[in-house]
Amino acid sequence: MWATATRRMASAFQPKSHSSAALTFELVGKCSTTRARASILTLPHGQVNLPIFMPVATQASLKGLTPEQLEGTGCRLCLNNTYHLGLKPGQEVLDAVGGAHKFQGWNHNLLTDSGGFQMVSLLKLANVTEEGVRFLSPHDGSPMLLTPEHSMSLQNSIGSDIMMQLDDVLVTTHPDKARMKEAMERSVRWLDRCIAAHKYPERQNLFCIIQGGLDLEMRRECCREMVARDTPGIAIGGLSGGEAKDDFCRVVATCTELLPELKPRYVMGIGYPEDLVVSVALGADMFDCVWPTRTARFGNAITKHGVLNMKREVYAADYGPIEDNCGCPCCRPIEEEGALGITRAFIHHNAAKETVAAHLLTLHNVWYQLNLMGRARDAIVADRFPAFLKEFFAGLYANKKDYPSWAVDALRGVGVDLLEI
Amino acid sequence: MTIDIPSQDPESSTPTAMRFEVLKNLAKDAATTASSRLGHLSLPGRRPLETPNYIGVTSRGCLPHLTPDNVTKHLQTSAAYMSLEDFIEKPQQNSARPPPIFAAPTSSKLPTPLHAFTAMPSSIATILGARRIPAVASPMGNTNKSISVFTNTGFQPLTTTDYLSAVSTLKPDISIPLADLTNSNITPNSKRALRMAERTDEWIVDWFSSPDSSATATFAPVLPVSYSMQWEYLSRLSEDYVPTSQLSGLALYDPALLPDLPAPLLSLPRLSLSAPATPHQVLQHISLGIDIFTLPFINTISDAGIALDFSFPASPNPSSSAEGILPLGTDLSSPEEMLGWTLLQIHNHSIVSQFFAGIRRVLGGEAGEEEFEKARNGFLRAYEADFPAGHAERPRARGYQYKSVGGGEPKKNKPAWGKLGPEGSEEGVETPVVPEGKEVEEKGFAENVPKE
Ligand SMILES: [Zn+2]
Repeated sequence: MWATATRRMASAFQPKSHSSAALTFELVGKCSTTRARASILTLPHGQVNLPIFMPVATQASLKGLTPEQLEGTGCRLCLNNTYHLGLKPGQEVLDAVGGAHKFQGWNHNLLTDSGGFQMVSLLKLANVTEEGVRFLSPHDGSPMLLTPEHSMSLQNSIGSDIMMQLDDVLVTTHPDKARMKEAMERSVRWLDRCIAAHKYPERQNLFCIIQGGLDLEMRRECCREMVARDTPGIAIGGLSGGEAKDDFCRVVATCTELLPELKPRYVMGIGYPEDLVVSVALGADMFDCVWPTRTARFGNAITKHGVLNMKREVYAADYGPIEDNCGCPCCRPIEEEGALGITRAFIHHNAAKETVAAHLLTLHNVWYQLNLMGRARDAIVADRFPAFLKEFFAGLYANKKDYPSWAVDALRGVGVDLLEI
Repeated sequence: MTIDIPSQDPESSTPTAMRFEVLKNLAKDAATTASSRLGHLSLPGRRPLETPNYIGVTSRGCLPHLTPDNVTKHLQTSAAYMSLEDFIEKPQQNSARPPPIFAAPTSSKLPTPLHAFTAMPSSIATILGARRIPAVASPMGNTNKSISVFTNTGFQPLTTTDYLSAVSTLKPDISIPLADLTNSNITPNSKRALRMAERTDEWIVDWFSSPDSSATATFAPVLPVSYSMQWEYLSRLSEDYVPTSQLSGLALYDPALLPDLPAPLLSLPRLSLSAPATPHQVLQHISLGIDIFTLPFINTISDAGIALDFSFPASPNPSSSAEGILPLGTDLSSPEEMLGWTLLQIHNHSIVSQFFAGIRRVLGGEAGEEEFEKARNGFLRAYEADFPAGHAERPRARGYQYKSVGGGEPKKNKPAWGKLGPEGSEEGVETPVVPEGKEVEEKGFAENVPKE
């Protein structure tokens, strides 16, 4: 009976879609309780299912995995850092070889950031003016400038399927409201400059980035301004900093309420599993974070029962897989095709000693994140997403009293009570 | 000339027969003196090894930077050297726990505990020795019944009985029994050298008298001391263990011993543990008669950020008539060419595989030995004598073999957001995943602001 009801509800949904020059967004399911959505995003290098987690695949994070290993995790859209590609191989080489897809041997979709945030976070001496982001070259100390126009030019050379506008990013907890407003308004002006400078709107999608810190009115104003500029997709930026999670949820919920239904919504820089599922419930579709790959280098495995540190002595003689019932190449049963037969004992043996342990944990962690979003999507399509949320939190915490209050509150706001029996 | 060495695995009673076939001897006096040759080594269930060739050197059971799927897909290597000292540390918090590798459950896909614990693909043959290559010299010294090994938690003794028991449990395809070595560049005085030979001789007798040794193919150590010091030991090998087929091969710590090997030992495969530093030395050792090399330089070169670039025979270099000018590799800590360690390892292993394939082609040619010596001289003339110095930062967490480096530092900043795991799980030592070169130029990134 329950299954019949599910099928009826699922089939009641009529797919709707919207196309821009280089992107089609097809909404294929909506949760009847929360704001969660399931959709298909068609990009120049193929289709991806939303909600989606995008691993960060340049330099310091995924570099240990080959493109075919990344492909093997099921990843079809990953993030590249413009800052790193601009340094190596550099714009000239990218132009000569025809972009980052060819340079990296990656035939699926790429999303690039603007390069600005990397600079602000990597190079502490960056300084933002109306013209762009100024900083001193780490090489010889000479002054450099990244403008919206130059960011577009670089991302055009990279050839990413989704490119991000250069924005004026502040930490959300920045105390100066006037500076926050200036940053928000400047980001809108820079979006106009990015749109004007973007050379290939027919084959690359430029996403705007909503700014405004934790000030919900400022966020609303930014949403209105950005939405009016009709970019093919919309990002919510400036989060993932030091803000309280309640504030984070309020910002996401405030923005998704104002955003057009038939455009993808990308919450930048978040990656903890609870953050992902709560954000999906609040109506977000896309996420990226270096955490799953970075934490792998500390010997941490992401599992449905939380993060397990494989360096702990308790795993030294544990011959089980990293996570039971995980389908990743490390964990799937040894007799299956492509199974590697990796045990917790072997990861323990080499965690923080050989890079191979980090590579294997990266394979597992990326698989976990992609699979989590895939399962969330299946639940949305079957209209059983509230039950999925309850199962998810029950897997993480043995006792309901340990559930994080921010998640309980945020989900209550969209009609799901995690604590009800 | 073919020798079959059948041996019986007492537990599963499946034969672990290693076969080594000499396909072509190059020197006329090959029956009496070691010299270069072409061979074929096979083990049931493993990739065959065409010789001369090299095998991978593992660290803690891994071919550094290469996950097992990458080993299967991207490496031509047929075998991997593993050292027992990489697996038998005694953790401070639980010093009584037996090394977990001994209880690793096997499966049809990973059929031995050694394969199963390390997830080394079963197509790769395993060769077990006690020490890493190169081994760290121990301040403790060896005893009549044990050698001192260096584990992740420090030096500890390894007895001959424990080593044999480890071999019988782990079931490596090939094992090298313990040798009494100093692991030092200083030549031992004749008293010490004699004792090394005597102990190694006693240990090999114990080894072969135990039924446990029949679970593996035994490559007996040949000591890095002069023939006159170890002739009795070598005679015992040829007189007692060649006729019984208990001895499957030789593991040489110094190729200089090759010309002195007694004739009955010449049909056995010859594995080098001497860690030649360059391809030039490899070529010289092939002339002397080495069949199989362990080449730790591949790992160190990759860690240093160097992409190997040489071939045998050296391709003619039209751009120059000068000699000895071709670099053996390129330092990739330059901006355009930075690759990850994984890709560097795949590349460097591939270059070395092709180098040996080239050697075998020349040796197999009509004018075999003469052609090889000509090509070897051509190689010596064409390439620089050593690898370029690398500038990439080494993997600091590789750990204990770089004693001065030690562990990493705990992270300075706590993540601002909460975490899922147990408190403190994010802290501790990070495994570096990319070589971090010196910071590179901002080529193409942002614009230089013209100075007023
Ligand atoms: Zn897994």
